[in-house]
Amino acid sequence: MCPNTQLAGIHSRSERLIELTRSYDRGRTPRVDTDRQLEEDTLQLINLQDGLGFEYLSDGALGWQDQLRPIAESLKGIVAGTRYSRWFDTNTFYRKPIVTSRVALGDFQTKNFIRTDLLPRTKRWKVVVVGPYTFSELSENRHYSEKSDYIYDLALAEREILKRLNEQGISSIQLSEPCLVYQPYRERQAEREELELALSAIGRTVEGVASDFSIQTYFGDASPILPKLLELPVDTVGFDLFETDYSRLKIETSKRLAFGIVDSRDSNVEDPSWIAETTTRARKHISSPELTLVPNSDLKFVPRQVADAKAQALAKASSLL
Amino acid sequence: MAKLFPVQEIGSLAKPRWRTKGLTHPLTSQDLAEAEEWAQRLDIRDYHDRAKKLLGATDQKTRTKELLELSTVYGLRLFEITGLDNDGVGGEQQRVEMYEHVIRAVEGMRVLGHVQSFDYKYFNKAVAEAKIHRKHAIYLQEFLDVRKNAKNPVKVPITGPYTLVDWSFSGYYSQRRNSSNLKERKLEAKREFLLDFVQEVIRPEIRDLVDAGATWIQIDEPAVTTHPESSEMDLFVEAWNETVRGFNVKFSDHTCYPSEIGYKILAEYAPKLDKCSHLALEFANRDGPSLGVDEEHRAGYGDLRHFVENGFEGEFGVGVVHVHDFSGDVPPEAGKGLERDIIESPELVRDRLLYATKIVGDPEKIWTNPDCGLRTRTWNVTFAKLANLVNGAELAREALA
Repeated sequence: MCPNTQLAGIHSRSERLIELTRSYDRGRTPRVDTDRQLEEDTLQLINLQDGLGFEYLSDGALGWQDQLRPIAESLKGIVAGTRYSRWFDTNTFYRKPIVTSRVALGDFQTKNFIRTDLLPRTKRWKVVVVGPYTFSELSENRHYSEKSDYIYDLALAEREILKRLNEQGISSIQLSEPCLVYQPYRERQAEREELELALSAIGRTVEGVASDFSIQTYFGDASPILPKLLELPVDTVGFDLFETDYSRLKIETSKRLAFGIVDSRDSNVEDPSWIAETTTRARKHISSPELTLVPNSDLKFVPRQVADAKAQALAKASSLL
Repeated sequence: MAKLFPVQEIGSLAKPRWRTKGLTHPLTSQDLAEAEEWAQRLDIRDYHDRAKKLLGATDQKTRTKELLELSTVYGLRLFEITGLDNDGVGGEQQRVEMYEHVIRAVEGMRVLGHVQSFDYKYFNKAVAEAKIHRKHAIYLQEFLDVRKNAKNPVKVPITGPYTLVDWSFSGYYSQRRNSSNLKERKLEAKREFLLDFVQEVIRPEIRDLVDAGATWIQIDEPAVTTHPESSEMDLFVEAWNETVRGFNVKFSDHTCYPSEIGYKILAEYAPKLDKCSHLALEFANRDGPSLGVDEEHRAGYGDLRHFVENGFEGEFGVGVVHVHDFSGDVPPEAGKGLERDIIESPELVRDRLLYATKIVGDPEKIWTNPDCGLRTRTWNVTFAKLANLVNGAELAREALA
C-alpha cells in the first residue's frame, strides 16, 4: 500500500503575499488587500494538496506569525512580550510568551488556528500545533515555581483548545515537539525525569479528544527516545529522517509512522526516487503497517515555489512505493 | 597610556530617503531638503556643490556614484561630529544589507526568494547552484570613498563566511555528496561550501582591502552562536583561521543576539580564533535601564565573564546602547523613553562601561559601542544615542582618573 502524504507545519507565503504584507506593515497597503491575498494563497495550497491526493488537508497556517503565537494568544496567564527569540538554529524568530499567572484557556477562536471556511467540507482536515513540552521550553516562566505544575496546566489548557478544534471538524492534530530531541538553547540537555514529565504532559493533552493524533519531532535525533514515543497514546509517531540515526534501530511497531523525508531547511527538491529508496532503507530498521511521508518540519523555511515542489515530490515518491 | 574606552560604531546606519530614492529615480531639490538640513548639522561645507552635481546628473550611473559617496560622507561626518574615535565605513551606505550585498557579487549563487523571518519581516535566501567565485570587488569602492573622506581611523566591517553560508542553501555542494548518513552529508557540504566561500570570495576581498590600505577588518558573524554543536563551532574556527591567514592587519569579530545560552559557546572558542584581537558584543539589549555598577543592576553583562574565564586576551567592544525598539519604564537618571526608543543617559553608559571593566579587569581592553548597527533608528535618535555614548565614555574615564 502506498504511504499517505501530509504537510507537517507552516507553509511558505507567496512572493505576492510577502510584498503585500511588507507594504501593509509600512502603512502603505490596506489590510483588506493582504487578507484577500492570504485567502488566495491558502486556496492554492489546499488545491495543491487535494490534487496530490494528500490524506488530510491543511490550510498551511499562512497567517500565523510564528509557531507559538496562536496558542499563546488563546491562553490566559500568558502575555506576549516584545522580545523575539531565535527558532532553534534557524534564522527565523518567534515572540517569546511570558507566563505571568496560572495558565488556562482564554480567548479561543478557531480562525486563529485554521481557516475552516476555506477548506473543502468533503475532505478531512489537519492542524499542526506545538505540544506542551516545547511550548513550556520556549516560553519564559515567571509564575510557576515547579516546572511540572506549569507543564501540566499547559497540557490541560492546550487540551481545551484541541477539543474545540475537534468540535469544529479537525480530524487530525499534529503535536510538534522538537524540544524532545533538540535543545540548542540549553547548556544541559533534559534528563530522564524531565523526559517522563514531558511525555506524561503530552498524554494528558490528548486525553479525551477524539481526533487522530500524531507526535512529530524534528531538528534532532529521535532514535534515543523513539521507543518511549511509541508508548504515547497517539496514533502516529513522526521524526526527522535527516537528523535521526536510524541505522542502529531495529523496531517493529503497530503504530503508524511519519517519516520527515523532505528537508524544510534545504532548497534542493528531493528526487522522488531518492525519497522512495531512503524510505525503503529506513523501513528495514523501523517498520509499521502504516506509513505517512511528511516534510521534516515547517516548509516556511524555503521560498514558496520550493515548498510546493517538495510537497509534489512527496506525492510522487508515495506512488513509487 | 592610550585613551580609555574609545568609541566606535558597529556598522550600519539608516539610509536617508534621498539616498534610497536617488538610486532609482531622478531627484528634485525638494527631495534634498532633508539632506540640506543635515548638511548644516553635520557641517558638510561642500554640500551645495555636491547637490548641484546630483541634481544635474543626467545618467543613472553618475547619479548613483555621487549619491553613494555623498551618503557615505554624511555617515562619516555623523560619527565625527558626535565624537566617535573610529569612522567605520560611514554607516555602510553603499550596501544593500549585509547578506544580499555580498551574495549578488558571487558567481554561482542565485537568489531564490523570500522567507519569513518574523511577523511581516522577511529575508531573501540564495542557493549555490555551482562552484562559487567572486564576480567583482564587494567593498572596495566603498573603502576608497571612505579613505578619501574620513578624518578618523577606519574599521571595515564585512560579513563573515560562516554567516553567509549558514544563511544560504548549499544546493550544488549538497548534491555532490552521497553519504547515506544525511546529517553527515549536510555537514560535509557545508564545510566545502564554507571553505570555497573563504577562498573564492572573502580572502580575495580582504586582499583588495588590505592592498588599498585597510588596517582593521571587522568580521560580522551573527550566525555563529546559533549552532552550539562542537562540529559547527569547529567549522567556524577553521573558516575564520583560513580567512585571516597571512594578512597582517587587525581583525575583530562582531557577534550579536546569540541564542538562549548566550555567548558561552563563543567564549569557549574565541581563544582559538587566530589574529582575533577584539570582540564586539551585544549586551545592552538584555540589561536593565537603571544606574549601578553591581551584578544586580548590570545583569546583562554577566556573559563577559565567560570570555575572561576561557582566556580570551583581546579587547572587548562592549554594547552599551540598545539598537532596537524599546518599551518599558526608564528612570530619568538612566535616560529617556521616546516612543519606540530609549536614549540612554551618559551615566547609564558610564555604569555599563565601569561594570564591564570590573569583569575584564583592564580598562585598556574596553571599547565603547552600540550593541549592533543603528540602521533601524532614525538619524535624530542615532545622533542622540551616539552623543551620549561619547559623553558616557568620558564620564567613565573621569571615574577612573
